[in-house]
Amino acid sequence: MPGAFNSIGYFCSLVPVEIITAAGLKPLRVKGKAETTAAADAYLYPNMCPYIKSLFADAMDGGGSACDGVVFTRSCDGMRRLYDAWKAYVPNDFVYMLEAPKNCDDLAVEYFASQLRVFALQLGRKSGVEIKEHSLAEAVKTANHTRRMMQELYSRQKKSPLPVSGSELFKLGLEVLSGNGQDSAGRLQSVYDNVKKQAASGRGRKKPRILASGNVMDRPGLFEIIEAAGAEVPVADLCTAARYFERIVDEDAHDIYSALAAAYLGEPRCSRTATPAEIYARLSKKVKEYAIDGVLLTSLKYCDQVLNDIPYLVKQFTEAGTPVLFVENDYLFKDSGRLRTRVEAFIETLEN
Amino acid sequence: MLKKYYEEMKSGLEADYLHKPRAWTRMNIQLASTFVEAYKENAKVVWTSFYSFPMELLAAFDVVPFDFEIATNLLPMFDADKAVEIMNRAEEDGYSTDICSFHRLAVGCCSLGYMPEADLMLTSSYYCDGKAKANQSLAEHYGKKSISLDVPNEISKESVDYVAGQLRRIAVKLEEVTGQVFDLNRLRECIRVSNRARRAYGQLADLQKVTPYPYIGVPVVNMSIFGNKLAGKEIQEQILLDMVKESREKIMKGNMVPEKYRVAWLAWYPTQPTNITRIFRENGVSVVMGELARNWWGELDEELPFESLALWSLKNPYVGTIEQRLKGINEIIDGYKLDGVVHFSTDACRHSCAAQKLIGDALKKRDVPYLVLDGDMSDKRKYSPDRTQLLLENFIGVMAGRK
Repeated sequence: MPGAFNSIGYFCSLVPVEIITAAGLKPLRVKGKAETTAAADAYLYPNMCPYIKSLFADAMDGGGSACDGVVFTRSCDGMRRLYDAWKAYVPNDFVYMLEAPKNCDDLAVEYFASQLRVFALQLGRKSGVEIKEHSLAEAVKTANHTRRMMQELYSRQKKSPLPVSGSELFKLGLEVLSGNGQDSAGRLQSVYDNVKKQAASGRGRKKPRILASGNVMDRPGLFEIIEAAGAEVPVADLCTAARYFERIVDEDAHDIYSALAAAYLGEPRCSRTATPAEIYARLSKKVKEYAIDGVLLTSLKYCDQVLNDIPYLVKQFTEAGTPVLFVENDYLFKDSGRLRTRVEAFIETLEN
Repeated sequence: MLKKYYEEMKSGLEADYLHKPRAWTRMNIQLASTFVEAYKENAKVVWTSFYSFPMELLAAFDVVPFDFEIATNLLPMFDADKAVEIMNRAEEDGYSTDICSFHRLAVGCCSLGYMPEADLMLTSSYYCDGKAKANQSLAEHYGKKSISLDVPNEISKESVDYVAGQLRRIAVKLEEVTGQVFDLNRLRECIRVSNRARRAYGQLADLQKVTPYPYIGVPVVNMSIFGNKLAGKEIQEQILLDMVKESREKIMKGNMVPEKYRVAWLAWYPTQPTNITRIFRENGVSVVMGELARNWWGELDEELPFESLALWSLKNPYVGTIEQRLKGINEIIDGYKLDGVVHFSTDACRHSCAAQKLIGDALKKRDVPYLVLDGDMSDKRKYSPDRTQLLLENFIGVMAGRK
């Protein structure tokens, strides 16, 4: 049914957008737009993460129909239950649960590849476009190209002063993820070209450099608070920032589905599959690479996966002599006053 | 400190058993004995999830299984204030109060050095993210590797192969830890034993359909959580057959507590002292079946031991979509002449509690009263006896109005 089925929404970085693109559909990373989650409270448990509640509140308000179909993964317990509720209460024609393993070894990759094949088959049936290997290979190349450009931009953030502000780069990444097609590709190219032309001035007051790390974030609130307080964010290890763009799929692999599975389950991994020690190893490497002065860890409230990692990470950074701050966030950044006070105090300690 | 509690628990239960030999007491002796064993110097201790890991595989090795959730969360039964003190320690270490009290208590016990050391730290990707992450944190503390049996949400040849493949690798890990060579015939024997226990359990589950219900209190719910510790061991069948015998005797003698209302219990029963049992007893409410106490798993195939253990994991009511869970709840409604369903809602249990609306809607369609009873499994700061009394009395009133 050409014209009737155009876009697929997804909620987690584990969904290979390449498969959606190869089916001739537009992948959209879904944002919870609802400014209040009250509509979700009647359906979902109150102690659910605010991202999930915002997504559901928006969907109940008609936002769910912004996409012609949605793909869930077994990201967390909350997402599993959101899938159940979405199927029951949101009028979406195509609601799919993509089984993504919580391990990342060869067995998990093999199983995930089998699930990606099933997903491609189902999506192809729904869209009326059979997903062929060559179109998938093309989609992999395109997605890799975008990711490499974003990687290059992040890599240049190792300089001081930053070629692009942290908030601008974060917003650019969100544009790419939100699937605005030509618009976002054009804007990415333009920023990329400008940055490549820039020579490092090496001038300007040295600002405290903050590494932000956490789960999903699709509002620049935290970045703006940090920057307004006189610091900068060269790199952000978030589901919707540098961590997403670091993944490259092997274009020369014998089996494209296995390559996708290996890439999406592989590094960099989030708290869902990585141990706190593995996360610390990755973040501490970034601290060195980006000459970071302080680490700001953040988590959505009620996120069991990240919250359980926080004590270990705080302890390790503290023992390593790296200043660290942990702040919970409500996804919508409605509590920005309190957040601002804590972030400002943290940055002040870095400046001193 | 915990070791002392387990030793006291074990000796107390053994004294009770001498005085009054009951199957339920024997089951609890088994639990306490395991925890005492875990502290012995030469014990090969495998941390695991009694309720979600296929214990038959562990029974095929000479290991002492230890479930850090169940072990540490027995503490509030003895000393709820001490449990809060230990949770405070975890909170001081940075563990949010939004994390389940079961895991805060375990982490606190670990920080204070109360736990037995593990030779292997196994868990499963279900029931919850919290346990899998807590296992990782505890593994970091002890300098061990955390191993998670990942169980997908769908049942297919691929998912069975995936889980079975992981179980085979875990068998290799168990070989490394114990120095024993994996014996396929021993695993097959464990599976035969487990199947016999399952048949005994089936008899018990059928007897629970009798009105009035022959077993008092909530053993059936608790047994579904920790009873699987004995899977693959002869004693499991013996205890279950004793329970069947005791139930039959009670039925024959008509020696049962008068019963006004029959309810099913969803999710877990609190380990801290509560007023729930007293309110139920005073009002003639029997908990006749638990969501996980249903005989939900099929016969295991000894010819395909790893695959059948994989299937056991995949069929768990807490794995999969809500349909799998609702199917089980509907089977309980159909089989047990219920007056109502109580869903205990411990506030950090997102995977269970998040389905309340869906379960409520499904029960409404079947015209079965449904109560979401909020509280906490083991944190007394988050449990209100007054609120519990109010909610339960209102619910009993609803059930009374329908008689």
